[in-house]
Amino acid sequence: MTRWPRSYPFALIIALIALIPVAVLATLATDSADMFDSRNLQVLNNTLLLMLLTAFGSIVIGVPLAILTTYVYLPWRRFWVVLLAAPLALPSYLGAFTFYAAFGPGGELETISGITTPRFNGLIGTAIVMALYTYPFVLLTTRASLASLDAGQVNAARTLGLSLFRSIILVVLPRIKNGIAAGSLLAALYALSDFGTPAIMNFDTFTRVIYVEYNAFGLSQAAMLSLQLMVIVGLVLILESRVKGTQEQPGRHLMLWPGKWQLGLMLASTLPVVLMAIFLPLTIFFLWLWRDGSGNFEITYAWNSAHASILAAIFAVVVALPVAYAAIQGKAGRIMERITYIGFGVPGIVMGTALVYVGLKLPFLYQTLGLLVLAYVLRFLPLAVGTIRSTSEGIDSSLVNAARVLGASPNEAFKRVTLPLTMRGLVAGAALVFLEAMRELPATLLLGPTGFETLATYLWRVYEAGYFGMAAVPGLLLILISGLGLALMFSGEKWNELKQL
Amino acid sequence: MQRRTFLHSMALFGALGVCPSLLANSVSGSANAISVEQLPELKGELTLYLGRGEGGLYEDVLNAIKKRNPSFKLNIRRGPTAALANAIVAEAKAGVRRADLFWAVDSGAIGLVSGAGLAQSLPKDLISQLKPEFQFSNWIPVTGRIRTLPYNTERLSADKIPDNIMELPESGLSIGWAPAYASFQSFVTAMRLIAGENATADWLKRMNDKATRYAGELGVVMAVERGEVDLGLANHYYTLRLKSGKPNARVNLAFTQNDAGCLVNASGIVALKEGDLAANFIRYLLTQEVQSYLASEAYEIPLVGNVAPPKGLPTLDTISPPKVDLTKLADLRPTLSLMRKAGVL
Repeated sequence: MTRWPRSYPFALIIALIALIPVAVLATLATDSADMFDSRNLQVLNNTLLLMLLTAFGSIVIGVPLAILTTYVYLPWRRFWVVLLAAPLALPSYLGAFTFYAAFGPGGELETISGITTPRFNGLIGTAIVMALYTYPFVLLTTRASLASLDAGQVNAARTLGLSLFRSIILVVLPRIKNGIAAGSLLAALYALSDFGTPAIMNFDTFTRVIYVEYNAFGLSQAAMLSLQLMVIVGLVLILESRVKGTQEQPGRHLMLWPGKWQLGLMLASTLPVVLMAIFLPLTIFFLWLWRDGSGNFEITYAWNSAHASILAAIFAVVVALPVAYAAIQGKAGRIMERITYIGFGVPGIVMGTALVYVGLKLPFLYQTLGLLVLAYVLRFLPLAVGTIRSTSEGIDSSLVNAARVLGASPNEAFKRVTLPLTMRGLVAGAALVFLEAMRELPATLLLGPTGFETLATYLWRVYEAGYFGMAAVPGLLLILISGLGLALMFSGEKWNELKQL
Repeated sequence: MQRRTFLHSMALFGALGVCPSLLANSVSGSANAISVEQLPELKGELTLYLGRGEGGLYEDVLNAIKKRNPSFKLNIRRGPTAALANAIVAEAKAGVRRADLFWAVDSGAIGLVSGAGLAQSLPKDLISQLKPEFQFSNWIPVTGRIRTLPYNTERLSADKIPDNIMELPESGLSIGWAPAYASFQSFVTAMRLIAGENATADWLKRMNDKATRYAGELGVVMAVERGEVDLGLANHYYTLRLKSGKPNARVNLAFTQNDAGCLVNASGIVALKEGDLAANFIRYLLTQEVQSYLASEAYEIPLVGNVAPPKGLPTLDTISPPKVDLTKLADLRPTLSLMRKAGVL
């Protein structure tokens, strides 16, 4: 029998912990009688359509933007990267809500300009909003793959007469499949588990049915439906794992120097995305702030949000490292990694309730910050695992072997070779977890210490009561702090780029 | 921001003269609404599970209570009512009791908690402060809400609206509703109890062809105001709050007569642990000051004595709400299965 890679025991423990909520749901679901209602077929159909359209939309927006921001020489490049990744700092439910308030007859846009705009709702409306707020996943994972791709092959293809466009399609895209797939997988899982956006856009998905059952005190039925949703999540995960990456020599990546008007055209083409995903919600929030004032908001909410999210980001990265390495080292590791993805596909309210049961088994943890951080880690671990894995896959294993031949212990090789090379993935993963934890609502409400208010819980309070003018200050602060998280993420990237040059 | 909260709490309990509406209420108030001045001081610590968001108005009430009772510590956990009810039941099963009080947004959640045998019985003199139809042995309704028909004032006038909820589908009006919303489901439960299963199922089917679905009742009222639909089904306070922020809003309230369409439901509070402290805390919620504050600021219906109803809403005795035992509204399963069969959910 061959020896297990060192990361396996850790990854196994983490995978088992990730399975605990599933076990809780299975126990809760045993009370329930109805397995599957034929009416749910329509909902299932809606859910799958939304998932596919969201994944598709996020690729259509995310991949070109990734190529633009990685391979094209842009003035103030970092500004553009941060701007285009900024929708990550905006929770999609805020986006959906401002879209709802802005468009349509009687919406804010009509009030301001007098022009009646079409409504944003149904499948198409939901998919557009979802794609606008999930494409940064694709943008970031694709950028990570692009950055570690040696330009030599593209240059060779172009020397042999292939046009630039075709060489990108034929030579670059196939090699970044993994990065694109990792990002669109996250987008798809997000579409599966998000409740707020389809609810506001008035579109029936699985999460809505679960939510209706849950609110009608049909906990066991909600648990059963969540398990069914998990089957879909599982199928998506299996599909994604079929996409195989290729090992490459790292090198300096491609850089294009377009003319002035070409550059202008490229940047102008990003305008609709920026306007819709960032400018519109911000404008609506400032409008509300100006109209309704700040309400009884307290600044400690922002501190609570940031504090819990930073802890979650740090722990998620620490936990994600062995899982990501296990995934690279073998098939069993790959399975363990897949298991940790389950949390991302479970609707927050169900996950929150499942963890209440877990917490009650450990009364010293129940209603402490510790349990809340654990919940964040379980839910958002895949974000860290995905980014760390996709950067580590790009690392040439011969570097580690060389270090070992030169006498470094496995630990030293890891610390001095592997870890620095994965730094970008670590920082990006931590930032993604931070951003998601900042906006997480149901688990925060159910699991945080009593009296623990965050920006998201305050937003919920005022939205639920119909005072959404008061959402302006916490909404803007949430965006601001998330923006700082993003900036941090890109400062990590700069550090890495400097080393490459 | 701190200052504003402070001013609110001052207005609420301290300087009555500062706030004209409170002054007016305390002059005209009836004998059976007790003032905070008559209540014992709270000493000790309680944990309250608060089953609703509320944009700071409940916060003001709770802050004012804390301010008045310096040696009383109140821990608050907020969350969706259903989630907190589930958590309370789970906690009780695991023997980890954290909540002393549960303030729920609708009576269905109260039914779940008391059905699990967790609601403590409350002192008689506390219960008797409420209007007779709101007296129950193990929970206290805090404020009421009434089912209404908000309508777009540009598209129709009140006389075009049937005063019988059962005739609504044939009125020729376009209708907005939010079937997934807890208050709507309580209303259907009431209809089931009043008109019977078959009539309710039939009504749901007829309505389903005419109605546009929204996620919540705030959405319904907004849609009515925007003219997306002629009329909606919603709790009264969404319309009143919308109008307070937008005085020229194109929406007004209509009521049906003596059927589930004008059901009066209540938010309520349950004591989960025995003891005087929890009961005395509840007494504060039923005072003249808190009841009239919630009426004037949150547009909720006071349920104690003669505290005036919120502005823009007729008094309860001019509306003819149906007589329904509110605790029976907790029986949601048959309602959901009716709604599902009718294709509404």
